[in-house]
Parts: sequence; structure tokens; C-alpha cells
Amino acid sequence: MLPRSSAPTTEAQTIGTPLPSRRGLGVKGLTRLLTLPGQIVSLMVLVVPLLVALYMSFTDWSPTRGTLFDATFVGFENYSELLVYDKRFVYSILRTLLISVVCLSLEFSLGLGLAVLFLREFRGKSLLFSAFLTPMMILPVVVGYTFWMLFQTNGPINQMIEFVFGAQATLEWFRSAPCAVTAVIVTEVWHWTPLFFLILLSGLNAIPENPVRAAVILGASPRQVFWRIILPMLKPVIIVAFVIRSMEIIKLFDEVFMLTRGGPGSATETISLYIYKLAFNDFQLAYGAAAAFIVLVGSLLLIHLLLTPVRNQIMETGHR
Amino acid sequence: MNTKKLSLPLAVLMGIALIVVLFPVFWISMTAIKPPTDWNASPAIWVPSEPTIINFLTLFDPEALGAYGVGGVSQAATKAVYGSILAAMVATALSVAIGLFSAIGISRYGNNSKATPLIILSGRMFPPAAIAVPFVIMFSNVGLIDSYTGLIAIYVAVTLPFSTWMLKSFVDDLPREIEEAAMIDGRSRLSAHLTVTIPLIKGGLFATTMFIFILNWSEFMFALVLSYSNVSTIPVQLAKYVTATAGTLYGVQAALAVFAMVPLVIVGYHIQSHLARAMTFGAIKQ
Repeated sequence: MLPRSSAPTTEAQTIGTPLPSRRGLGVKGLTRLLTLPGQIVSLMVLVVPLLVALYMSFTDWSPTRGTLFDATFVGFENYSELLVYDKRFVYSILRTLLISVVCLSLEFSLGLGLAVLFLREFRGKSLLFSAFLTPMMILPVVVGYTFWMLFQTNGPINQMIEFVFGAQATLEWFRSAPCAVTAVIVTEVWHWTPLFFLILLSGLNAIPENPVRAAVILGASPRQVFWRIILPMLKPVIIVAFVIRSMEIIKLFDEVFMLTRGGPGSATETISLYIYKLAFNDFQLAYGAAAAFIVLVGSLLLIHLLLTPVRNQIMETGHR
Repeated sequence: MNTKKLSLPLAVLMGIALIVVLFPVFWISMTAIKPPTDWNASPAIWVPSEPTIINFLTLFDPEALGAYGVGGVSQAATKAVYGSILAAMVATALSVAIGLFSAIGISRYGNNSKATPLIILSGRMFPPAAIAVPFVIMFSNVGLIDSYTGLIAIYVAVTLPFSTWMLKSFVDDLPREIEEAAMIDGRSRLSAHLTVTIPLIKGGLFATTMFIFILNWSEFMFALVLSYSNVSTIPVQLAKYVTATAGTLYGVQAALAVFAMVPLVIVGYHIQSHLARAMTFGAIKQ
């Protein structure tokens, strides 16, 4: 941060120091007034339900057994049942991880490639930029429904396959497990590659020119400049993109709900879909809550690992 | 102006990418103007020979398709459209208002704890299906289930981290000296923020409002589990068409999808320069 020579008091130069005023509320009172509504909402609508869910996950409660207070306390029974015996839960985790890894790698590669193309100037650039952002502005439910239509057996994707490879190559997309998973991945990649493109492009644009110029003058090839100079400087931005996308894709629900409802069988059942079915189709609410906490702890660990190498840089940009 | 043409291979690459990006949008728009005979034709019809707006009319008048001899649309989408507009608008206004005060509080008087962003992020990571469970229980006890009040309360809480953090990044960008000057002129802190800070981040406030509106308008799962007969939103109605009619109402569904999509795309283009900041909780500024 630049030093501010014109600041009236030296204390005012650091963020967090009270602003000078002799009138009205004091700093403490004002801070409380400003942040109170947000804290009340978060407490009532996020913290309280989380605590209720946590308590519930240690009971055998279901809606047919009276109120939550009548439920029997079962300790970690739900948790051990889930992790040891519930194959469907373990598979839904592995499946979500597999879909996430494939989707994020594809989204990153395509997004980075597209962003690099957008570093040069060309005619119609701003129009193309807007066009490429379109998918991420569309409602997930609409994206799911659109691709459900595209992947119909008599839909346009099969038509194109038939045109290129012949009629025997067409697929019944929602009838076989690998095809259905592919359809989900294609949908996700189409929907969210623009986010990677957007974040990486703003990262690339923010890279200072001097190190790049120096490397070119010293005789580095374009490839060397990209791998040795640009990519390392882009690392914090890349990690931000991955963290944001991981958080969302772990919760993958809307698109899959519209595309396959988890089918065929449970071939495309993600964690969110499984928890949804547990809670709202089978009414095993306590069991579903336990599943949710396992997922929360798991994803927190994952994000923590991902963030460790760049924590300081990210926190600084987030707090500037 | 530094405008050049792309080299041929790059132009071809760009063209392919553009087709891939726009094709689904083209398809849903075309389906929305197909007459019932073209909806599920085999092979699929790309561009309808007789485009019609009958699908859009059917959204608000279930009998409209009678002219084509197609019945069985049980429900107009009027309630869902009304519900989406009501829930998204009220929730957006509340979320941005509360977020704005929190943002000023955190930016100007916060203790800058490094843990705060992580706590916020972990809130975003919890599967919504699981948060929905205690909501359903609590709301059915206090009569908030299947009510717009309940839905709006959840929407406000869920979007609050986004509105707070995005607005905080705009307040952070504003030099503190401007507010200090107003205070030295004799204003109280609160009045300095109301008359100086807020007008100066007008642009950011607008972008945040639009972004939160996109989030609320798109939300699906909470609306799905908390609505029965009184409450409906467009995404829920879209999902219902799929289940209720086993996919026989392609055109009407597509019309609803287009109806839901158009406002978001318009809003999205308007705030595209702020989207990176919005999606990353203010961590990346464009």
C-alpha cells in the first residue's frame, strides 16, 4: 500500500483505525449498528439450522417419530453406518470427485486456452468476449433442461453424430452409465468454462509487462516465457478459480436433477442428489444430516489443502 | 485503434468455440417457437418452418394450445412467474441493504481477521440439501413452510456473503480520506457514510444488486423443497413440467426457459466487467 502523506493523523493510515469524528455514535456503537443486521440474519438462517442439523445427525429422528426432542440419541451410529456400510454414499462421493476432477481440468484447460487467445487485439474482440460469457449467466436449471433436449435419442447431438459417423454410432445418452456421466460432464463444462476464462483473463491482464519483456530480451522463447514467467505469476489467480469452482461443483445438483435425476440407476447420483433423496424422498432426515456433515468436513479439508500454498497472497488481495 | 484480423487457424478455432457456446442457446430459442408438431419430430427439426408464439401464450393461458389439438397443460406458469419476481426482488433488496451496512462496518471498522473469509467460504460449501433439512423442520413448526416469507429469508441469508464481500471490495477501493474530510467538516460517522460513501460506490452498488438478483432468480433447490401449493418459482415450474408430463411439452417448457433466461443474460451483459469480482467474493478485481 502506498504511504499517505496527506492523512490528517498518523493513526488513520492503517486500515481498521477509527475514522475521526466528534459527533454521533462512537466507533463501537456504530460498528455494532452496521454489522448487527447481517449477523442476526446469518445467525438465524445459517448457524441455527446448522446446529439443529448437527444435533439431528446424532439421533435416529424421522418425521414420523414426533418432535426432534423425542428422538433417541444414537451417538456416531449414523456416521459409522454411512462410512462403513453405505456403498451408495461412498460411491456418490467418489463419483462427485471423479466428475469434479474431469470437469475442472477440462474447464481450466479450455478457459486458459481461450484467455490466451484474448490477450491479443483483434476485430470484434469485445463482442466475442460477451458471447463467450453467455453460458455462465444462464440459470443452471435451464442449462440442464437445454442439454436434456440436446442429448435426446432423436436430438441434434445424435443427428450430428449420425451425419459424421453414421447411424450405428448414435447413442442412447441417458440409458447407459458412461454416456449419462459424459452428458453431465459436457453440460458442466459448457456451463462453467466461461468462469475460468473470465478469472484467468483478468489474471493474465494484471501481469506486469516488465518481467515478460526482460525475459524476451534475454532470449527466452514464447514457450519458456509462458511456462516459466507467466504461469508462476498466474498461480494465485488459478488457485482462486479452482477453489471457487470446487466449492460449487461439490454441491452439483440442479443440472443433474434436470438431466438424469441421478439415473440410470444411480450412475450419475452426486452427493447433493443423494442427500436430497435421503431427506426428501425417503425422509431419513437424521441420516441425511450426518451425510452432509461428512461432506462439509471433507470439503473443508480439501479447500484447506488447496489454499495452503497461496494463503497469504489470496488473503492480501481479499483484504486490500 | 489497434485492430487486426486473426490469423486463419485462430479465426477458425474462435469460430468453432463460438458455435459450441451459442448452439444450446440457439436450440432452446428455436424450440420455444416450434409448433407442437415440430416439438419432438424425428429427425429433429432445427429451424421451424412455421414459427409461432403459441408456447409463450400457453404459459399464461393453459387452453391456448387447444387450437393445435393438444390438451393436458394442467397449470399456467403465471404463479411461478409472479413468485420468482416477488421472491427475487424482495430478497435482493434486503440482501444488498444488509450487505451494504455490513460491508461498510467490516471495511472501515473491521478487525480484519484472516479467518473471516474462510468462515464465509465454509458456509458456501455446506450442501444446500442439508441446510434445507433443518429449515423444513423449523419452518413447518412456525408456519413459514410454503410461504414467500420463509423463501425470502433463506435467499437473503444465502446471498448475504456475496453481497457483503462484493460491496466490501468496492468500499475498500474508496480512499478513506474522502470520508475523513466529511467528518472533519463536522458530520457524524454514520452521516458521512450515508451521504459520502454510499453515493460514491453507486456503480458498485448497482452491479452487486444485479448480481444478487441473478443468484436469487436462478435458485432452485430451496424453492423445490420449501414449496408445495402456495409458493412456486420459475425453476421449480420448469422441473415440474418435466415430471408431470413426461417430456411431452417441449415447446412450452422451452418457452418458460427462454422467459427465465432472457432477463439474466441482459443483466449479465450489463455487469460483465464486475462478474469476476462478484464470483470470487471480491478477491479478483477487473
